[in-house]
Amino acid sequence: MTTETPSLLSAEFLQRLDRLALIARKTQIGGMKGERRSKRKGSSVEFADYRDYVQGDDLRHVDWNIYARLESLYLKLFQEQEDLTVHLLIDSSRSMAFGEPSKIDLATKLAAAIGYIGLVGYDRVSAESFADGTTHRLQPCRGRANAAKLLSFMSAIQPDGRTALEASTKSYSLRNRAKGVAVLFSDFLDPEGFDGCLRRLQQTGSDCYAIHVLSRDEIDPPVAGDLRLLDSEFAVHVEVSASPGLIKRYKHNLEGFCESIRKQCLSRGIGYIFAPSDESFERLTLDVLRRGGMLR
Amino acid sequence: MNAWELFWRNTGTVLRNAFLAPPYLWFLAIVPIIVLLYLLKLRRTQVVIASTLLWMKTLEDLTANAPFQRLRKNLLLLLQIIIALLIAFALARPFIKTQGAAGQNLCVLIDRSASMQTREGEQTRLDLAKQQAVEMVNAMQRGDKMMVLSFAENSDVLCELTEDRSRLRGAIASIEPSDTATRLRDAFFVAHSLRLTVADLHAVVISDGNIHDLAEIGPREFGQSREVADQSTEARSRGYDLSFLQVGSTNNNVGITEFSKREPVPGASGEQQALVAVQNAGAEMSAVTVTLSFNDQPLAVEGVEIAPGETRELVFAHPELGEGILKAVLDSDDALMVDNTAWLSLRPAAKLRVLLVAQPDATGTYFLQRVLAPDPRVELSTIAPVNYTPTAGYDLTVFYDHAPDALPEGTLLFIKALPPIEGLVSEGTIENPPVVAVDAEHPLMRFNLNPANVGIQSAVKAVLPEGSRPVVSTTGGALIADVSRGGQQIVWIAFDLTDSDWPLNLSFPLFFQNVLAWAPRSALASESSVDAGRPITLIGQSDVAAAVITRPDGTQETVPLDPLRPVFYSNTQQAGVYTAQLGDNTERFAVNLLDPAESAVAPSDALAIGRGDFEAERGNVRQNREYWRALLVVALCVLALEWLVFSRRAWM
Repeated sequence: MTTETPSLLSAEFLQRLDRLALIARKTQIGGMKGERRSKRKGSSVEFADYRDYVQGDDLRHVDWNIYARLESLYLKLFQEQEDLTVHLLIDSSRSMAFGEPSKIDLATKLAAAIGYIGLVGYDRVSAESFADGTTHRLQPCRGRANAAKLLSFMSAIQPDGRTALEASTKSYSLRNRAKGVAVLFSDFLDPEGFDGCLRRLQQTGSDCYAIHVLSRDEIDPPVAGDLRLLDSEFAVHVEVSASPGLIKRYKHNLEGFCESIRKQCLSRGIGYIFAPSDESFERLTLDVLRRGGMLR
Repeated sequence: MNAWELFWRNTGTVLRNAFLAPPYLWFLAIVPIIVLLYLLKLRRTQVVIASTLLWMKTLEDLTANAPFQRLRKNLLLLLQIIIALLIAFALARPFIKTQGAAGQNLCVLIDRSASMQTREGEQTRLDLAKQQAVEMVNAMQRGDKMMVLSFAENSDVLCELTEDRSRLRGAIASIEPSDTATRLRDAFFVAHSLRLTVADLHAVVISDGNIHDLAEIGPREFGQSREVADQSTEARSRGYDLSFLQVGSTNNNVGITEFSKREPVPGASGEQQALVAVQNAGAEMSAVTVTLSFNDQPLAVEGVEIAPGETRELVFAHPELGEGILKAVLDSDDALMVDNTAWLSLRPAAKLRVLLVAQPDATGTYFLQRVLAPDPRVELSTIAPVNYTPTAGYDLTVFYDHAPDALPEGTLLFIKALPPIEGLVSEGTIENPPVVAVDAEHPLMRFNLNPANVGIQSAVKAVLPEGSRPVVSTTGGALIADVSRGGQQIVWIAFDLTDSDWPLNLSFPLFFQNVLAWAPRSALASESSVDAGRPITLIGQSDVAAAVITRPDGTQETVPLDPLRPVFYSNTQQAGVYTAQLGDNTERFAVNLLDPAESAVAPSDALAIGRGDFEAERGNVRQNREYWRALLVVALCVLALEWLVFSRRAWM
């Protein structure tokens, strides 16, 4: 469950986040001027290249010193600096409500932290929480001034509905063409599987990360006795008689499940970060994400 | 009988052959209850979780990897049903018939009665029984114990419960045949008493099955101890742990089952008669010759043909023979020899010396003299009390209204006067006492003597000493009492003869006949034959300290005598003529088997003890070996496994 605190992140923690920055492994074309190196050539002070003058070029960019020496017109090109779009995709299906603290709690905090870092770094941050049939969006915004808006959006996310990872990712990628950094927060517990979702994420061309959030109850299930386990999203149940052998096999399957997601991500160039919901949020942000190459 | 009844009957037979307590199989009804409880118990707790995705995959794996998944799912139920079945079967005490007798405490009871002398080929049945017992000793294993008893008329514990095989073999070898009847009760009682303290005691009776007192074996016979009686009742209800090992097979025997003489009428001259009853217990017609001899001089010979199972009586008439041994010999080469000869000891009628101590002119004295003097056996002397001094040599002394300071020898009868016995104290008189009870079992009350209609004016009321036996009682005391002390026969009559109309009553002379017959010497005179194993009576004399008994086999034994009371010699296991040398006198006693049941040597196929029939086993002991303990151990193991499964679900 989300904790609807106005201050999702404490002021002290936000100050610590000020010192961090998002790492974009790829150089992308941005939408507006910013502080990120763009593939475009533009008007920064950093020299990029020369090219032949063609009619219509701005004469102010002609390198006259070259012309004096070679009597040919060359245009001096400079590196363009643009902003970066940070896409925060949060799975808000009902299964994300489980755990103590809940998975959605961790996911929104992490998303808020990454979004905040993006805002501080003059990146364009957009966010979307999705489940089957329900979608909430945060329109792209930039600048520290939108931090409250971001935090408010994150705080308002309520888990509901079924998981529909592929459909939701596909819908988002069609609507948001801007490339940048895309971070997906999910437990990936989708009966349809996670392949399609990761494929769609890869196809956005962004620098992608998958943050796999699982609760402690899922990692180490505290079941005992004869139980009927009801699915929170689908009208299915399983009957189990808890035993060490059963738990062992479950954990084995869970390991295989996580490993298969990690391998899929690796093969698609997606960064994979495993985040237990009871893990310290600060440690995840300041340590795990940094070591995962997302922050510096 | 319809099919349903037949089914139940057959089922009952099958169960009884497998279980000692089949009613406990009703405990099996617990099984459906367990199933019901299990079904009720399996209401699973519902828990909502984020996703069942991984659990489904896990269960799919399990199903794929476990072909007996359905079985394992209900493993607890199966284990509980198995436990219930094991407990139910254990309660029903299942058993199997096993050969041999190893692994238990055994009590071996060996029959050594007369019928065990029956020849089976070259050996007697007793030899075969001893061989069987020795084989059982040889089959003993470490930790096994055995005790050995022999039984005939009497029972002997030859070796107490021990592991020492040599002692057991020695005890078995020491068993000698006896010419007596068979009585198992005492030996059974010993075995049964031991069973109360020794666990797993299994009794093995080695016998031909001709045991005559089986009906007497029951809780009442063990009645002194309530615990023993209860145990016996339990044994009757659930079957006693006993095996009957049968020896012998032949039934070929003809034997004398009765030998007696008929006295001629006193005072009349005439022939005496001897009766010989011969029984053919075999399966074929038998022609035998009976020879009657007196002091080894033949008197008569008679041949007779006897049909199978029949008894023929032969009457031999012979003249007055005097004192000696009358012998009947059966000329038959059959399996059992001991019943082919019988003896009778003929003695002249004994003279009883009776002393009447009474005032000669008293009315009661008159009555007493009139009733005692006419008896041809009696030599009556009368003496006044003032002249009386205790004198030896009287068989009966009658004190009328006088009591001496000390008791003399012989049988004593006190009338009115209280005998000088400690504890016998007068407490006044009873007026007009009615006769309210008569001890009809007492020898003094023979001939159905009933003095109930006797009128008595006054009687002495006295406290009888301990051990006394009221013979005729009134309200508040005894009218006639047996106050015998230390074997000396003493009778006390509490009233004066002249204070009653008893002397005019028929019961008066009959009572004195009984008193005379009660005296040991007259009892001895009538005793011409004694059953083997029963005691013979030796009457002491003041000048003879001991009697030398010569047994039929020639061995001698010295028996000390008591001048005051008769002595009983009981070592009469052997049939034949016993000679007792009493100083200058020689007494001869005839000891006979004369038992139709012992002469019928056909072995019995079962022993009916209590309500149980113990079928005969031959060759080797087949015993019921129970295995309920093993079932309980298995049940405990399964219970532990069930607990393990329940607590860990390791199988899942």
